[in-house]
Order: sequence, then structure tokens, then C-alpha cells
Amino acid sequence: MANIHSFESLAAVDGEGIRFDVFFSGCPLRCAYCHNPDTWHHKGEIEMSAQELFNKVKRYKPYFKNGGGVTFSGGEPLLNAKFINEIAPLLKSENIGYCLDTSGSVELTDEVKTAIDNADMVILDVKFYNAEDYKKHTGGEFERFIKIGKYASEKNIRLWLRTVVVPDINDTEADMDKYAEFSKQFKFEKYELLAFHTMGFFKYDELKIKNPLKETKALDKSRLHELQEYLDGKIEITE
Amino acid sequence: MEAWRGFSKGAWCDRIDVSNFIKLNYTAYDGDSSFLEGPTDRTKKEMDRVHELLIKENDNGGVLDVDTERVLSILSHEPGYVVDKDTDVIVGLQTDEPLKRGVSPFAGFRNAVQACNAYGYELSEKIKDEFTYRTTHNTGVFRAYTDTMKAARHAGILTGLPDAYARGRIIGDYRRIALYGMDYLIEQKKEDKRRLGMKEILDEETIHTLEDLSKQLDFMSQLKGLALSYGYDISKPATTAKEAVQWLYFGYLGAIKEQNGAANSIGRIAEFMDIYIQRDIEEGILDEVHAQELIDDLVIKLRLVRHLRTPEYNDLFAGDPVWVTMALAGVTCEGKHMVSKTSYRVLQTLYNLGSSAEPNITVLWSDRLPQTFKDFCAQVSIDTDSIQYENDDVMRRMYGDDYAIACCVSAMKMGKQMQFFGARCNLAKVLLMALNGGKDEIEGAQIAPKGEIFEEKPLAFEEVYEAYKKYLSWMARLYVNTMNIIHYMHDKYAYERLMMSLHDTDVERLMAFGVSGFSVAIDSLSAIKYAKVTPIKDDRGLITDFKIEGKFPKYGNDDDRADLIGKDLIEYFYKELCKTPCYRGARHTLSILTITSNVMYGRKTGSTPDGRKAGEPFAPGANPMHGRDCEGALASLNSVAKLNYACCQDGISNTFSITPDALGSDKEQQIEHLTTMLDGYFEQDAHHLNVNVLNREKLIAAMNDPTLYPSLTIRVSGYAVNFNKLTRDKQEEVIARTFHQSM
Repeated sequence: MANIHSFESLAAVDGEGIRFDVFFSGCPLRCAYCHNPDTWHHKGEIEMSAQELFNKVKRYKPYFKNGGGVTFSGGEPLLNAKFINEIAPLLKSENIGYCLDTSGSVELTDEVKTAIDNADMVILDVKFYNAEDYKKHTGGEFERFIKIGKYASEKNIRLWLRTVVVPDINDTEADMDKYAEFSKQFKFEKYELLAFHTMGFFKYDELKIKNPLKETKALDKSRLHELQEYLDGKIEITE
Repeated sequence: MEAWRGFSKGAWCDRIDVSNFIKLNYTAYDGDSSFLEGPTDRTKKEMDRVHELLIKENDNGGVLDVDTERVLSILSHEPGYVVDKDTDVIVGLQTDEPLKRGVSPFAGFRNAVQACNAYGYELSEKIKDEFTYRTTHNTGVFRAYTDTMKAARHAGILTGLPDAYARGRIIGDYRRIALYGMDYLIEQKKEDKRRLGMKEILDEETIHTLEDLSKQLDFMSQLKGLALSYGYDISKPATTAKEAVQWLYFGYLGAIKEQNGAANSIGRIAEFMDIYIQRDIEEGILDEVHAQELIDDLVIKLRLVRHLRTPEYNDLFAGDPVWVTMALAGVTCEGKHMVSKTSYRVLQTLYNLGSSAEPNITVLWSDRLPQTFKDFCAQVSIDTDSIQYENDDVMRRMYGDDYAIACCVSAMKMGKQMQFFGARCNLAKVLLMALNGGKDEIEGAQIAPKGEIFEEKPLAFEEVYEAYKKYLSWMARLYVNTMNIIHYMHDKYAYERLMMSLHDTDVERLMAFGVSGFSVAIDSLSAIKYAKVTPIKDDRGLITDFKIEGKFPKYGNDDDRADLIGKDLIEYFYKELCKTPCYRGARHTLSILTITSNVMYGRKTGSTPDGRKAGEPFAPGANPMHGRDCEGALASLNSVAKLNYACCQDGISNTFSITPDALGSDKEQQIEHLTTMLDGYFEQDAHHLNVNVLNREKLIAAMNDPTLYPSLTIRVSGYAVNFNKLTRDKQEEVIARTFHQSM
């Protein structure tokens, strides 16, 4: 059984094609800029077996042409590696692939390795490029996600990198230089920047937890575009 | 024959068979949109004039001018032009001036008087005198209506009925005029009449048909007169593309001069016109620029179609729509796609002339359409929000490969089927009536047969559903009988002489029933079944509110527990309708479509067990209620896709709005995702989808300042409207609807 926070049946930007997003509950990190703090805790709204989730996902098969499929997100999907390994053969029987949208903030256990081995793709969050900031803004251990990223690279699993750009934290060209340098240890197809936004702020109020970035403004879209172009000029893509 | 030079001969040469002609002669096009041309200087000049007129019309409160002196008919007015005789490529207007509206009192005289008054006009004494002593459709209907019918109508259980306005939803096969010429069509009708008169026993239906034929023949010759007034002789077949488009348009123009029905659609004409255009291009007498100009100008004329309506009518059908629905593409029964270059040219008008609500462009979608065409449709949708999609693969099974769409989602075979339009009944209100023992929860009147009023204790699903079914059966019988009266009278007093002359004489009739409040009824039943719902009575002892405890599954989340309630409900209601025979042997069909009347039906309905409060709007058509679909867009589509088209052969309307960001990160990806989504939805035998790709913020901005986006077009429940033509409450309702967006 897994604890699931929610579903998004039409996710168009979390992987290739049209994706069915499964948001697991529970995350080991506490990122300052998280826009889904409602997924931090392990007790989700929906409890489901692998078979039940498979039955649900299967209904979306008609939309999975052009490389579409399931995206396991969260929360932290790899906390549910065992569950993912249970549903994987079911998905495979229907030729439905899955993508892991992960922060990589878990131990690289055998179960996690299997979950990565069977994935069509991994989208890995590169939150910060040094241990100090990583710890400060996420509360997590820097080394863990590097291991996950390197493992996926070694196994030739398709890898996309992602970084959320937060005003006044990591939004300078100098930051991009560092991210680019840092990314060289991975073999990846795409490095996508996401803009920090404030659309998840209401959740902090609802959950009555302190929002550390309450005063921070959303990142301007044109600035995001600028930084993306800048970053694209610095990175090495593996086709 | 010169007119048919170069065409492949076949059955169509010996009898009226346009479908056979098209299949033998059309050129399927698999290429992309790169051949398309922009507007000519002439087109731009004409469009400048159109924009000028539209601004004036808007400034004038929505109606530019009304001719109160003459009753609008085929030959009532002198020729009119948008620019002038030499500049207009395709000619013909309803009256002698563009956007000047004519008066057509045949369906309802009082309505015509009120419509004039509403815009500050007064119908002339001459017309008033003439119609004071004349029975109109409206008078006839009310003579025959029973007290129960009037009460059901007043309470808002049966609403929007075409009993005071013309029924519409009939599509003449205007292509016949171009292919055969009027003289041949007249000869055929005369022959039908002669043959019918030779029957041994002339029963009532035969006599009825004989009279119909004589009315048709009268108007067929009037149509020739209309064309002559513009300097064209349409007695013979069209010899060029320009003539083919013009002949066809004359037919449509005659029809809308004679009839002001709610939706007068033009049918499936693109691939037909393409055959003539293709021939002219091959003969070197037409080039692409001028082929596009022909289509552009036809579309300009279709955008100028106007009828004079009352404010009450606009309440039902907001935004001054006329539903010049034009169906494109599809696949033949033999499996060959019917995309032609002219399918593209019609879509191109949305770029050349700007986005627009009319004509109501309807793409007949199939898995087998070429990907290049699918991509172009998606691109045009994303850019203009002006297209709707309907599933050719399910309709072809019922209607063959030469059907078209009337109004929003009503399929019918071109020239072989007609429809008796029947608005809709209010399923949510019937449920409240079942709980209240047949009484109207608002006014308290006993409308349906008296039953037990449910007690103020938790409702038991089985008991409620049993009572609901009993009242649905009552409703179904009343509904069919009411429709029979309406269409008997419409045939008698406002028969569509010209449109019906462009049908086969032994036409098949469909009687189209409809429902509103569908998702409210489903969620209400689901709440009763899965949560605890306790009725609350007012001081009259009637249930007017509900206490709802606990969670319940809601329609729109691909959850069978709720969705199958809806499937069962609609199948039951259809079966009940079929138990009462229809007038003139018509076949029962059913739609889940509300146009914009979901706002009005909601206003007339008390609080419902799903938590909706009294007066709040319903969701449109078969859409899940706003804000209740919480697993995203595809879950919502999957719920609607479960409904059975076989029992809703008049259409299942679904409107879908999504923000561009949620659809993909760039245009190319958005196109790919939209076509993939349409394929996935229709693969499940879903019927219809309106697509809007826009931001909620843009609509709010447009609502607050209409001058920002003067031609902002959005898709609403089966048709497109200019957003600025909606009233504030309807704009708010559109904005409240579920927008699927990324977080």
C-alpha cells in the first residue's frame, strides 16, 4: 500500500508526452521554497495498493501516445520504491512507462536502484550546488541526490535535471555558472529551470506552518527565460 | 453537360445523390498548411467595412437597424451589398443593408413585437394589422397546450421550448442547387407530387405531404427570383467554383430570409466546394489566392447573418448566435479521410478575417484524419478558440458519411433527415419534485401527480431513486406530448418551405429531446448514496434545503461510483421517452446540451442534495460541475466519455478550458498534446469537445474592459460566442468554470 496525496491526470510538462502524475505523500526534505508542503507528511489522503493504482492509471492509456505515461512525483516518490517496484511489472504488461520526478534525497538501496532501472526517465532536482546551501534551504544531505544522479547516468537511464530558481537565493548568472559546472558529473538530456511561484502560499496558511519565503516574489518569466538561455550555453547535453 | 465537365460520372447523374458525387470526385489532401494564402486587398477592404459595421452595431446596443415595414421573406428586399455590387465576390444579404435585421412573425407575433420594442423600434401598423388576424405557430401551440404543460413550462421543468420562436436545426442540402440547378430539383419535386397523388388511398400523412410539396415548389421558384435580383440564373447547375459557392449560398440565404429558427446551419459543404475549386485550378481559371478569396467572402457573408431576438431569447442562447454550423473533414464509410484543401481554407478564414464565433466550425474528428490536418486544427484552436470537435467515428456508425451538424452537436444526414428541435427538461428539478411529492419547490404548486413528501431524516438512495424514476417517467410522457403539439403547429403555421424542398420528400424525422442539470442530478444522487443527506423543510412543509454530512464521489473524476449513476440515469430517461410515440413517426433522440441556458435553469431550481444552493448555475451540457473535478482534465474527460452516444444520438456536449502553460511549454508541444488528447478522448467513443486554450486572467480583464479584446471568441457549450456579447452573469459563470491549469 502507498499513501498518495493526489493525482493530476493531465500533466504536460513533467516528462515526455501527456503524463499522469501521481503525487506520493511524504518527503524527507523541507525546502524553503516548496510549493507542495501538503505532501510533506506520510499520511496521505488516499491509500492504495499497486493493483488499485494500476487500474486507475490504465484508464489513461489512450492519451499515452507520443511517449506519454505515468510520472511518480510527490512528496518523494523514491520513499515508495518498494511500491513502485510492485506496480512496475503491471505497467510493463500494458506498455506504460514511468518517469521518476525525484529530489534524490534517499539512500541508494537495492530497491531504489530497481525503481531507477525500470524507469523510462528520471527527472532529478538539483536544488543547490554546494552542501552548505543544500542543508540550509532543504534540510537534506547533499551527497544522496548526487549518488542517485550518478547511478542513473551510469545505467544510461534518460535523465533531466531541474532547478527551481528563487529570487535572491539562486537567481544570478554566477549561480548558473556553478550549476553548469556541477552538472558535468551527470549524463543528462535536458536541464530545465523552473520559476519560483507563490501559488502554493495558501497551503502554508491552511496547514498553519511558517512560510520562510513569505516575502519573496515570484520569479519573473522573462528573467527565467534569460537564465535558461544562459544556462543552455554552458551545459553539456548527452543525446 | 458543360457544368459537369471533367467530373467522374456515377449514380449521382441519374438521381439526386450529392454524397455519391462527392465520393467519386473529391481530392483528399494529405499535405500541410503551407499552400494557404492570406487575404487579398479586396478582402481586406471588405473586412474594414465589416469592422466598421460591427462597431456601429455594438454601439447601438447590439442591433444596428431593423426593417419594421416589411415582413422578411425570400423576395421581400432589394439586393444589398457589404461594399458594392462589384466589390462583393459572393453576393446576397438578408435585407437591403448589411446587419439590418428583418422581422419574421410567423413563429410568434408577440415575440416579433417585443423584439422590436426591446431595441427601441415599433413594428409598422401594416404588419400588425396583417398578423392580428393570422394564426402563428405560437398561437396554435397555446391553443392546444394542456394546463400541466403550461405549469411545467412556467416552473422551469420544461424550458426553452420552440413554442414562441422558430424551431430551426434543419439543414437544407444547399449543395443540390449548385450540382443540379433549380429546374431539375423542381422537376423532381413535381414528379414526387405526381407519384404520391397516384396512391390509392390518400391518408392524412399523404395529404399533408402533398400540401408540403406544393409549398416547397412555390418557394423553390421564389429562390430563383432571389438569385435573379442579384443578376444570377440558378435554374441551371453551377459551371465554375465561384458559381458553385454562390448557388449554394443563395440557397442558404433564401432559407434564412424565410426562417428565423434558432439554429440554421449550412451543413457539410467544404469538400463539395473543393471539387469545383480543384477543377477550376486545374483548368487554370482560378489560382490559390482567389480560391481563398472565394471562401473568405462566403465566410464574411455567413458572419453577417442576423435575426431579431427578444431579450428572453438571449437569456437562453447568449451572445446573439445563429449557429451557421459548418462541418469539416471526417472519413468515408470506406475508410478514406475527407480532408481537402478547402477544409484547410475554411480554417484559414480565422486567420485571414480574424477569430469569430460564426460560422460555427466543427471538425469531424477521426483517428484516421491525417496528422498534418490534426496539427493544423490544434494550432488554430490554440490561436483562436473558435473550433469544436465531434467524433466522426461514433457518428458515422449512426449517420453514414454524409451527415452534418445542426446547431452544436446535432447530427443529421444531409437532405435525408430533419429534426424536430425540443430544447430540454430540467433533470435536477425533477429530482426535487420527486422529493416534494410532485410540487414545485419554489412556487409550491402541484405540477406532477401528487406523491409522498420525503421526511426530514437521512434519505435512502433506493427510495429516492425509485421515486425519481416514477417522476422521470411522468416527465418523459409529458415532454413527448408537448413536443408533438409544438411540431404539429410548427408544420402547420411556420413550415420551412425552402429548407424542406432541399430534402428528399420521404425525409426521415428525428425528434430531439434534451436534458439540463445532468451533473447536478448525478452528484445529488451520489451524495444521497454515499454521504448522509437530510432534507430540511420550510414553513410550507416543502424540502428546500439539505444537510450533507460526509464525502461522496463526484462526476468528473473518472470514478465509476458517480459516473455510472449518470450513465444509468440518461439511459433510463431515454428509454422512457421512447415509450410515447412522436408526431409524424419521428424517431426519438436525446442530447445533453444546454447552450448557455444552464445559468437560467439554475436560477429556476432550488437547492439540491449535492450542496448546490438555490439559484446557482448548473454546469453546461454534460460537463462536471465547476470545481468538483479534482483529478485534472483527463479524469474529467474520461467521466464524460463513459456516456453512451447510442442513447444520446443528438449529442453529448462537453466544454473544456485549459491554460496554455498546462497544455505544454511551447506552441509545438501544445499542438502535439492537444491532438494526442483529442485522439485519446475520442478513442473512448466520446462525442464532442469544445476547446478553449486561454488564461482566466484574460477573461477577467475582458469582462472589466471589453475594449481590450474586442473580438475575443470563446467556446461555450457547443458554439462559440464573442465574449463581449455575453451578459455579466454569463461571463462570470464562464470564468467560474473549471480551468485546467498547471501549478
